[in-house]
Amino acid sequence: MNSRDKRKLITYVGFVLPGLLVYLVIVAYPIIYSVGLSFSDFNPNRGGNWNFVGLEHYRTMVDDPNFWHAFKNNMIVVAVLAFGQIPIGFGLAYILYRRLVRARGFFQSMVFLPQFLSPIVIGILFRRLVGADGPVARLMQMVSGDPSRQFMMMLKAETVMIPVGFALIWMYTGFYMIIFLANLQKIDSNIVEAAKIDGATEPQIFARVIVPILSGTILVSTILAIAGSLKGFDLIFALTTKGLMRNNAMVLPIHMYQTAFEDYTNPMRFAYGASISNAIVFISIVLILFSNWVSRRVSDGEVN
Amino acid sequence: MSDALERKGFTVGKPISYFILITWALITILPLFWMSYSSFKSNEELTRDIYAFPKDLFNNQDDVYMVIEPGLGLLLPKAVRAAREDYMVIESTTVAPTRQILVHYLYRSDLPPEVASRQIGDLVNLNELPRHMFRPINRYLMGYNYISAFVRGELTMKFVNSIIYAAVSTFATVFLSLMIGYAVSKMNFPKLSAIVIGLIGLGYLISTNSTIIPLFLMLTKMGLINTRIGMIIVYTAFGIPMATLLTSQFIRGLPDSLIESAEIDGASQFRAFLSIIVPMSVPVIITISIIAALGTWNEFLLVLVLASSEATKSLPVGVYSFSSLTSTQLGWQLAALVIATLPTMIVYFSFTRRITQGVVAGAVKE
Repeated sequence: MNSRDKRKLITYVGFVLPGLLVYLVIVAYPIIYSVGLSFSDFNPNRGGNWNFVGLEHYRTMVDDPNFWHAFKNNMIVVAVLAFGQIPIGFGLAYILYRRLVRARGFFQSMVFLPQFLSPIVIGILFRRLVGADGPVARLMQMVSGDPSRQFMMMLKAETVMIPVGFALIWMYTGFYMIIFLANLQKIDSNIVEAAKIDGATEPQIFARVIVPILSGTILVSTILAIAGSLKGFDLIFALTTKGLMRNNAMVLPIHMYQTAFEDYTNPMRFAYGASISNAIVFISIVLILFSNWVSRRVSDGEVN
Repeated sequence: MSDALERKGFTVGKPISYFILITWALITILPLFWMSYSSFKSNEELTRDIYAFPKDLFNNQDDVYMVIEPGLGLLLPKAVRAAREDYMVIESTTVAPTRQILVHYLYRSDLPPEVASRQIGDLVNLNELPRHMFRPINRYLMGYNYISAFVRGELTMKFVNSIIYAAVSTFATVFLSLMIGYAVSKMNFPKLSAIVIGLIGLGYLISTNSTIIPLFLMLTKMGLINTRIGMIIVYTAFGIPMATLLTSQFIRGLPDSLIESAEIDGASQFRAFLSIIVPMSVPVIITISIIAALGTWNEFLLVLVLASSEATKSLPVGVYSFSSLTSTQLGWQLAALVIATLPTMIVYFSFTRRITQGVVAGAVKE
């Protein structure tokens, strides 16, 4: 390597290093740290001595009923994403793409808007809307004529995920709609015209032409959705009041947060919390691989 | 488009499409609309009728106040404390009565003698007060919920913090990722660049949840917990993956000839970067800035864990703790929610198109 190349390399490193370093230290390194932490008996009350304890915390986790409760709720959230947000987002994008309505810009920006509002604000607002004698309860009272009627779904463990799922769909579907719409608009209109000339009906065009073309986008969106589904922390946190209601609606990130930052009596709170957050990463990788596998099976099936 | 089959599909599809989209738009608009106008209603009004438009706080010329003995819980202003006897303390009988939340201090010598002589428990009608005393009370009532949110929730500082976090970390994110984007797309080190982009791309799969515990321990060790600088560094780092993807895509599309001509002129790479690449990247800079700033403005968990002291909190955490502390004061809470949402709404509606393009470009990797 001559001195000119060396100078070039130094310049290159000078450009890349500041940003890369910040990223690696703050975003990438904690992932490794977290894995190390989950195998240790790090005790914040005792100071910094670490010992390797193997899979102990993971064993605790498997025996922890709260973990499985949060896991179940989290799978509901993933299902809401995969079977709610993505198909609905696709449907909305299709409506806009086929120009079935006027004022498309207005509708598009309305569906997309919640994405950019603070999940905390929305959570608190929704909690107020469905609270005792709140606007929703008043509406139910007016419609039913029963002045004692209340919105009870948030208060029951069996139903709390319904309003939560509704809020998740309302909040994040716009994102997938925008992605699908952008990709729909890239489709060569000749393909659609050709299908029409061959006598394909509107539903046939949708199922046989549009969906297969966008299968790649659907997969990418599913992966993004799954990676993001475990970020449903803020909205559920703000939608529920601390205590029983939040425990009913608990998802893994909230379980992790409560373990690490609210359970001060547990000396293993950080180590155990880290195991939970590693489990989240592990689960999302498994789900991503699974959706990859499913989509390959589906597209293979189509070829045959 | 004149195809008979298609028209048949359209006649069924159109009403359903309108129905779905209009319902969706209403679900978006109505809660926000309710939140906005209700933030001008007193708690009593909200209890009386949760849907009615605000009236009491505006229509207040004839409000009746009661002369009271200030309780221990009431923090008197300095001037009043110094000359307690010179002031008459009155409390609203319509807004939060008997709770000593809405009180005013009237300087006795400025009052008409008849009013000044009233004793504790006597009533005072606002229209009996001289104009210069009535006007501030009148204005105070109109903004009552907002003033309470700012003063009692100490939201001013949190608002400033939110602006600092959003502005500084966005600037740093944009600058650092422009540098990386320039290096990986215009300097000829393909293997290194692939590694750099690969590493940064992994950031797409890393959420703040999975790093929050190590980050808390790291920042504590470095003494950066509960500091603004610590928050800014963290936000900058989490902004880099998306921003780098967008900058490298954009800069790759810029003509090489411009940069080469600068090198021939003997300009240093960094100067070339500042004087050629940065000005040409303005469109992508704006897009990244808006998306990153909105993300930082709304972010919650990082601040909650890493900077939850009063001095370093941002708006979402401030609004959240304010709403937990004042759960009976719905009017104040709604005002706090509006304070946190209004800036994002303004930015969103001014830049919808750009935001949409940026989100699409950032989500679909090539």
